[in-house]
Amino acid sequence: MVSEPADLLQGSLELLVLKALSLEPMHGWGIGQRIDQMSRGVLHVAQGSLYPALQRMLRKGWIRSEWRITENNRRARYYILTSAGRHERESQIAAWRRASGAINGILAFESSK
Amino acid sequence: MTWFSDLRERAGALLYSRRRDREMAEEMEFHIEREAEERARRGADPREARRAARAALGSVEAVKEAVRDATGVRPLQDLAGDFRYALRSLRRDPIYTAAAIAVLSVGLGAGTTVFTVADAVLFSELPYPEPDRLLRVGQLYQQNDTVWQLSTVDAQAILEQQRSFEVFGLVSRSEAALSGAGTPVTISVGRVTSGFLQALGVEAAVGRGIAAADESLEAPPVAVVSHTLAEQRLGGGAAAVGRSLTLDGVSHVVVGVLPPGTDRLGGIRASAWPALQLRPPQRRGPFWLRGIGRLREGVSFESATADMAAISERIFPLWASSFQDRTARLAPVLLRDSIVGGAARSVGLFAAAVMLVLLVTVVNVTTLSLARASAREPELALRVTLGAGRVRLARLPLLEGLALVGAAGVLGLSIAAFAIRSLVRLAPSLPRVDEVGLDGRIVGFAMAAALVSGVLISVSPILASLRRSKAPSRQGDGRRTGADRRTTALRSALVVAEFALALPLLLGASLLFRSFLELSRVDSGFDPAGVVAVSVSLPQARYPDDPDRQRFWRELELRSQGTAGLSAVGIATELPPEGNGSINNFNLIDRPVAPGVAEHLVPWSVATPGYFEAIGVRLLEGRMFSEADSGDVPPVVLVSRTWAQRYYPGESAVGRQMIEGGCTTCPPTTVVGVVGDVKYAGLTESADAVYSPIAQSQSRSASLVARTRDVPAATLRRLRDVVAGLDPELPVEEDTLVARLDRALEGPGRSTAVAASFAVAAVILAALAIFGLMSYTVRQRQREIGVRIALGARPSAIARMIVGRGMRYATIGTAVGLGLASLEVRFLESFLFGVSATDALTTAAVSFGLLLVAALASWLPALGASRIHPVEAIAAE
Repeated sequence: MVSEPADLLQGSLELLVLKALSLEPMHGWGIGQRIDQMSRGVLHVAQGSLYPALQRMLRKGWIRSEWRITENNRRARYYILTSAGRHERESQIAAWRRASGAINGILAFESSK
Repeated sequence: MTWFSDLRERAGALLYSRRRDREMAEEMEFHIEREAEERARRGADPREARRAARAALGSVEAVKEAVRDATGVRPLQDLAGDFRYALRSLRRDPIYTAAAIAVLSVGLGAGTTVFTVADAVLFSELPYPEPDRLLRVGQLYQQNDTVWQLSTVDAQAILEQQRSFEVFGLVSRSEAALSGAGTPVTISVGRVTSGFLQALGVEAAVGRGIAAADESLEAPPVAVVSHTLAEQRLGGGAAAVGRSLTLDGVSHVVVGVLPPGTDRLGGIRASAWPALQLRPPQRRGPFWLRGIGRLREGVSFESATADMAAISERIFPLWASSFQDRTARLAPVLLRDSIVGGAARSVGLFAAAVMLVLLVTVVNVTTLSLARASAREPELALRVTLGAGRVRLARLPLLEGLALVGAAGVLGLSIAAFAIRSLVRLAPSLPRVDEVGLDGRIVGFAMAAALVSGVLISVSPILASLRRSKAPSRQGDGRRTGADRRTTALRSALVVAEFALALPLLLGASLLFRSFLELSRVDSGFDPAGVVAVSVSLPQARYPDDPDRQRFWRELELRSQGTAGLSAVGIATELPPEGNGSINNFNLIDRPVAPGVAEHLVPWSVATPGYFEAIGVRLLEGRMFSEADSGDVPPVVLVSRTWAQRYYPGESAVGRQMIEGGCTTCPPTTVVGVVGDVKYAGLTESADAVYSPIAQSQSRSASLVARTRDVPAATLRRLRDVVAGLDPELPVEEDTLVARLDRALEGPGRSTAVAASFAVAAVILAALAIFGLMSYTVRQRQREIGVRIALGARPSAIARMIVGRGMRYATIGTAVGLGLASLEVRFLESFLFGVSATDALTTAAVSFGLLLVAALASWLPALGASRIHPVEAIAAE
């Protein structure tokens, strides 16, 4: 079960990106890696779907992008969380907690039966 | 803030799409490299790592597409792409593009020009507050439905008795000599009452308007002047007030200056507006005033009509002795209608012609674009195969059409701007033509017309491309298919339509041309060569009484006779072929009109014997005027031959007597002679005329008319000196009778030229269309024709077949066009002189000419068809 990476829930990719960018600005590949690491390999971001999601978030104003030089001295596009993005992250986390709590409750109810 | 980042991203994607693309490629490249490094670090073979990294990302192009979709500007980018594609494909087809743009821009330019003129002349509101309440009041003659001006009697009765108007004012237009500093000049003046300016709602920009007190006969003469006159002669706006203006020798105090741009008021152009001072009337006539009133709030046009009719009834019995036409009524008309009136017809004719041309241009470009669509069939088929959607496929012709009309619209507007400027210069007599100009609404019209044309020319190619997209695998080798047949049918219909539209235009132009020829052949009754005229107006102030003026005229004629180079000289108040329009009514004593019926009207001039000699008109019967015809004896007149034949057919008119001007108390006037015909009311009118001797006249204006053996300019200078020798303050106007004749032909000549250019354009377009269609047919049927030739068909038979096909369309079109032309007959009739709108010869010649053009235009492709080489044609498939 652990060996098969789970598909991401619709919409949860954005929350994960917001979370991944909380610590520091990162480039696209790094964001994918970070999500991979943070979920200990459970959640795997399809690389092809990451970039369109980033573009959508740019439009929503949650993140902004700029070209920077990496530690290996290469040019890369970095994504930076904006204050609107931080707000969004908090409200999405709260919403997620409420939803997952409710789902957990339902599941607990079912297993106790 | 979200909307802002959204907008920024979308705009960025649109504006910097190329940079965005580059950056995206770089980002993907970076991603793949990092992924490959990571995999290599975990121990994969570097080459294998890179391949796997690519596979993990998926197709780079697909990711880029997905990101582009995420920017949300995809439809716009597609549109821009398609538009660029449309522009590119137009550039690849420069002949088609140039032809379509040229044709469309001429059509749009002409359409816009006509709209501008029609808009200003016909549809614009008058520039006065609440113009719908402004009425003009005149004498309406039931008999011939003409509106005359008001007499002093009418005007005073209306002012005293009317209940319909808030304000009622009067104006009388005339010429006046403006003297003082510099050379004396003749200017137009409108003498007005205080009510005139008030009714229109016009106020002086500086100073005051005309006040009621200024109308009193005892009041010192005052005038309001136009801004232009103040600038030119009175030292500018504010400085003009209080200065003096000498009009016809009378000094007027300038009390006000009108706002800039107010050169016309109530349809009258004048540069000075003196106060009108009405003298008590002696009889019902003359009719010399225009009445303008502003309706009271809530009073309808109908009740104003009834009000005016009631006033007519009340004054008729009081003045019946000097005015016997009981059917004449005081009646209001909308001021706007009275100003625009006559011009509506010619502008309407013009507009109809232009709309036809615009229609023909659109049809023509449609046939062009259809031909192009069929030539592009392989390309379209390829696009369908590559997966282009129907919408995007159908969008292409529309985008091309819009690109074409965009360019044509800009060009057309420039053409219109130029045409409008020339028009204002060429046709200054059009009412309110000085208000014509390009403005936002005009540009809007041009854009709307361009848009509609763009859509119209795209409709058929769009339909054609949609049909194609239903059957995407069609090979594009020009073999005849159902779609082609439908396209050909559509094109044939369009060609028929073009001929149907060209025929009425050509017929109209030909009729106008024949009418113009007739007009220029009209015997104006005089020999204009070498005849010059010098016109003079005597100011009331310095020539107050009839004897003063008669003395001046006699002295002028006498002194001129000594001038070198003259073979004859005389004086007349009216000059042919279009005089000042002075007419008079009369009633024959032996043949009076029935009671209550309007008396006869006739152009009435004052002339000396020398005048007839100068213009070469002979005395046919009776005697010339003599020194004995003085003011102390009963009045006498000479009549023209046409007059004599009209009223006394087969009898002698000499010795007959008439009552002149409705003056029943005056002694009767006797006809003493008949002279040759001269036209004074225009070339198209009859040559009725009556002449009075100068000693029995009251004329303030007249012309010295001389036949010269010298160059006209030298003679005119000498005559001018003669006038100056008598009175140096008189303004003098010079003219030659040759120039007057030319001017009389100018208007009809101009409309003939305009109509002819439209017709030629339409015929050329129709010829191009049939040429295009037949060339296309020949190409489509190349194989069939090759087979026929191989089977022994004679080339001439092939050519006949193609020409015959073309002629079928042209004949149907011409027949339909004849039907359309029958609709314009009644409209055209009023513009024609000496030729009927249903003239059989012209109709036949025009139809034949149009068919001949069609034959020639289809003959060229037919010639090509007859030369088709059978082997090549069949092998080409």
